Amino acid sequence: MQRKFIQIAGIIWTLVYASIIVWIYATEPRSFKEVATNSQVAAGIYEINQERFNSGLALFRRDQFRAARDQWAGADPAQRDPRTQFYIAYASYREGWGRVYYDDALFKQGLEAVNRAISLAPNGTLIVDDPDLQMHTAAELKTELEQGTETSWKDLNPLKLFRKRK
Amino acid sequence: MTNYAERNRALVHFIVMPTILLTVGLLGGLRIDAQTRQFVFLAPPLVTLMLAILLGSLFVRAGAIDLHRWLAIEQPMLTNVAHLLTLMALFFASAQAFNSVLPESGLLHWMFSFFFLWTLWTNQFSAFDARRLLKSLIVLFGTAFVLKHLLVSGLYAPEGGWFKRIAAALLQGIAVDVPAFAPVTGYVSFFALALYVVGLLLMAPVPVQPGGSLVNTPAVREGALAESSDQTSE
Repeated sequence: MQRKFIQIAGIIWTLVYASIIVWIYATEPRSFKEVATNSQVAAGIYEINQERFNSGLALFRRDQFRAARDQWAGADPAQRDPRTQFYIAYASYREGWGRVYYDDALFKQGLEAVNRAISLAPNGTLIVDDPDLQMHTAAELKTELEQGTETSWKDLNPLKLFRKRK
Repeated sequence: MTNYAERNRALVHFIVMPTILLTVGLLGGLRIDAQTRQFVFLAPPLVTLMLAILLGSLFVRAGAIDLHRWLAIEQPMLTNVAHLLTLMALFFASAQAFNSVLPESGLLHWMFSFFFLWTLWTNQFSAFDARRLLKSLIVLFGTAFVLKHLLVSGLYAPEGGWFKRIAAALLQGIAVDVPAFAPVTGYVSFFALALYVVGLLLMAPVPVQPGGSLVNTPAVREGALAESSDQTSE
């Protein structure tokens, strides 16, 4: 009886441990902290650090976009919160926006973040009610970022010097 | 007393051994980045799976694992499932043990892979017993460990040394291309290989049966292995 119990315990333990190993290799955590974060995500108890998020928002409103992105990256280390990813994308857009040209690298980063936000949002639709923003949906922001990374004849239009940042 | 012995044997066989082998599976692909000190998990490359198959075949041929006794129709299903999981853990542990001592990329990766393949392939046709196989594996993994984690990693250490200067002169113009990992990677690899050897030592050719026949007891197994070694030499 005892042997059978040990066998069952062994089988369950082996399967659980093997699953943990496969999960670790699939998620590729870079530190013990990331292991903890990924565990929270897997358990469905993951929450962003609201304090850091608010701090990022304050920096964003003072046009300190890079610092804001750092704060938001710390607030959402697993990149699982659509709203935070939307703000990160928005910060990349605003920092990369230029009257004469756009910063391609920042726009690409922004595009990646907004795509993450869309994939994480329920039904792929994300609306952020923030009066300080001029684009409230992830779809709008994505279009703006995509247009910024594309090269066309419109880029030569001198009137673009008068356009406004959203 | 007998009850304790039987229970402990079952614990080692069904819980400790798979845990050790799976831990090798976990640590074998772990590297620590030299600059950022972050974890890098490398899944076993295809060649290590091939090497693990060859090694598994060697285990069976050498009698280190008696497959007919590990998986038998006469045994209860639970026992067969537990044994199958242990054998799978052994397979992945072997693959990851190779992964641990193989350079990650470049010319050296293929050179090491070729030498492993060559050694394991030629060993398929040699007269082996379990004990000799274990000694041979310790030497094989030990040599690869020294080459990779002492010589090759020394070659790419930022501070360098006399060996780096000699190798740089000898290998001038040859792109060896090995990623730089922190020295702690060597310790992780050493620990993984040590665990792998412990796992192999715990692995009985014939699994523990209820009642614990003499063949199955770890202490006697050594004698059995020695016996098989004598028979081969005769």
